[in-house]
Amino acid sequence: MKALRIALKDLRIRLRDRNTLILMLLLPVGLTAVIGFAFGGDAGISAVEFLLVSPEEDGFPAGDFLTGAAANFLSQIEIFDVEVATREEATRAVSEGEKSAAILVPEGLREAILEGTPAEVVVLRDPASDIKAGIVQSVVERFVTYASAGGIVGRAIFETLEEERPLTDGERWQLTGWMLRWMYDRYREPAIGIQAADTEVEDVNVHAYFAPSFAVLFLLFTMLGSAKSIHEERESGTYDRLMTAPVSRATFIGGKLTGSYLLAAVQMLILILLGSIVFGIRWGSHPGAVVVMALVTAAGASSLAVLIASIARTGSQVDNVGTAVILVMSLLGGSMWPVEQAPAAFQNIARFTFNYWAHSGFKKLVFLDAGLAGIAQEIAIVGAMSIVFFALSVRLLSRR
Amino acid sequence: MRGDAIIDAERLTKRYGEIVAVDSVSFEVPEGEIFGLLGPNGAGKTTTIGILSCLVTPTAGSARICGIDVTKDSLGVRSKIGVVPQEIALYPTLSARDNLVFWGRMYGVPDHALKQRIEEILETVELSDRADSRIDTFSGGMKRRVNIAAGLLHRPSVLFLDEPTVGIDPQTRRSILELVVELNDHGLTVLYTTHYLEEAEFLCNRIGIMDEGKMLAIGTKEELTATIGATGVIAVSADGMDESIVGWLRSLDAVADAALVESELTINVIAGPNLLPALVEKLTSSGAAVHSVDVTVPNLESVFLHLTGKSLRDRDGSPAEGEPVGKKT
Repeated sequence: MKALRIALKDLRIRLRDRNTLILMLLLPVGLTAVIGFAFGGDAGISAVEFLLVSPEEDGFPAGDFLTGAAANFLSQIEIFDVEVATREEATRAVSEGEKSAAILVPEGLREAILEGTPAEVVVLRDPASDIKAGIVQSVVERFVTYASAGGIVGRAIFETLEEERPLTDGERWQLTGWMLRWMYDRYREPAIGIQAADTEVEDVNVHAYFAPSFAVLFLLFTMLGSAKSIHEERESGTYDRLMTAPVSRATFIGGKLTGSYLLAAVQMLILILLGSIVFGIRWGSHPGAVVVMALVTAAGASSLAVLIASIARTGSQVDNVGTAVILVMSLLGGSMWPVEQAPAAFQNIARFTFNYWAHSGFKKLVFLDAGLAGIAQEIAIVGAMSIVFFALSVRLLSRR
Repeated sequence: MRGDAIIDAERLTKRYGEIVAVDSVSFEVPEGEIFGLLGPNGAGKTTTIGILSCLVTPTAGSARICGIDVTKDSLGVRSKIGVVPQEIALYPTLSARDNLVFWGRMYGVPDHALKQRIEEILETVELSDRADSRIDTFSGGMKRRVNIAAGLLHRPSVLFLDEPTVGIDPQTRRSILELVVELNDHGLTVLYTTHYLEEAEFLCNRIGIMDEGKMLAIGTKEELTATIGATGVIAVSADGMDESIVGWLRSLDAVADAALVESELTINVIAGPNLLPALVEKLTSSGAAVHSVDVTVPNLESVFLHLTGKSLRDRDGSPAEGEPVGKKT
């Protein structure tokens, strides 16, 4: 109970502080507005136009099936305007800005999936259409993930069956067809949420890309200020005073962590609401998933900030170290720019940051209308980060 | 008295590496007393209060508050004590009332009693009309008073006041000292640390003199001054004095102790009036420019000088000479 009193006291102090409110709400909304307009104004994106290029293989049906199935699936999403084209047509259309992106399905994709050999799906991107191309790339990433999983399953099935006797070509085609349909079904449901996309997503707002990224960035800064109060309490003497009252150190730490988390949750939920009101952002058709993502993100940000505070020796160290950590992480993790533009190696580095996964979750909610299952990976990773940060913070603070 | 003591410290010691902050300090405080810990900065007063209020773990020794061991049942001790730290340990952007509500809850004051206690304590510290103003809009004296109020809400058995008048104006100092006396009149036991002689003399029933972590002497003002064997104190203010004058004074049979701090010379004398002509002649012949000479009866400064060979007086921080520090009733 006393921990909650400490948390509510902190919340009250923070919400009365004008600078905190500016950092919490005004700056993220303002920057979203400015950067959003710079990247395309508030007219929104009526459609994501891209091409799908099939490999010219030797009559084997798998490539065609993959291309056809993908085109059929993608065209069901209302904002996607997809056409099948040749490689030359696609290269010309993307380079001349007629299409946002093109997906080049490689030769040997069947072997890649069934036998685990290397293959690369190429996404040609129009640099002038970062957001649209990013959306296409995001879709491809999900497809590759499921295809890889399907391939593993398929190889396991083949090996198991061939322990009894060798399979005929007909049986192998039959099994391959079954496996590809399984992949298609996994891809289509539930990760993408086709029905919601059909009925809800009519227009994609450019601000919807930046609102969550700046929300995560400024959430971290707000949390840094909140976590810094651990040192401020020590420096002002209120911590010592608390320790002369019948209040345990664990209660104090619990109160500070709870206070930070409550503030983070309030900030995220208000920013989501402001995103809808100010920029007309539609956060998808799964409000429960949006709330869960917001709360998990709040947990990650607050526990990361408290971890920084628990490592630092003074309040000014929290400012200096914390600001550096947040800026580097936000730069790498895509809170300041569309990380989808970056080379693959850079994107791999981005995956080690809190910002990347938090932003990824919100992008899926907005652009792919994902439900809880669709953002399960992001929730799991951000949640795991929160638990690790929290455990380390408690350990360090308890030793002080 | 050990069995009846509300504060009982026995050979308390606190070491920080090579530094001994508190060195085998023992004392007892009976219920209802104002006990003063007098000493210069760094004497170990705050560390002693830290140990008694469970903030600092002693390296050796033991202490009990209301019979509860501070190292074995810290939560039990903390429910019995009120601590007013030297710094303003309040939340500056919250109002006085909000601060008191928070601290009251931390001390476990029941919700149904809290509101009335806050009204009472605000009246006691004469801040009822500013209850809803933010702390950062208060003067230093007003902050001090709220700081004290926060330590009283739960009606503790013992109040620890750690240099509560440092850096405040004489009027506020007076009102705080009068508040302490008033609280003591209502039965509150007080442990008061200070490096101001006048406060200790005015306020405390008994005084413990500390220096360099050690408890040098304990007693009433009269008991302490009787120990030095001096009948008077000569205080000389002069420019151009050096340590040679102190050496000369200490060689005289009429002098118990002497100390020079900047341009202030303090002498505990056994036969004061007879010494004066020789002293003035010695100062004049050595080229010192004498501004004033005062002859007074022995006080705690004399005791400190006798015990340590040093002067305790901090002219910048102490109340002015002759300035009343309070009005004890």
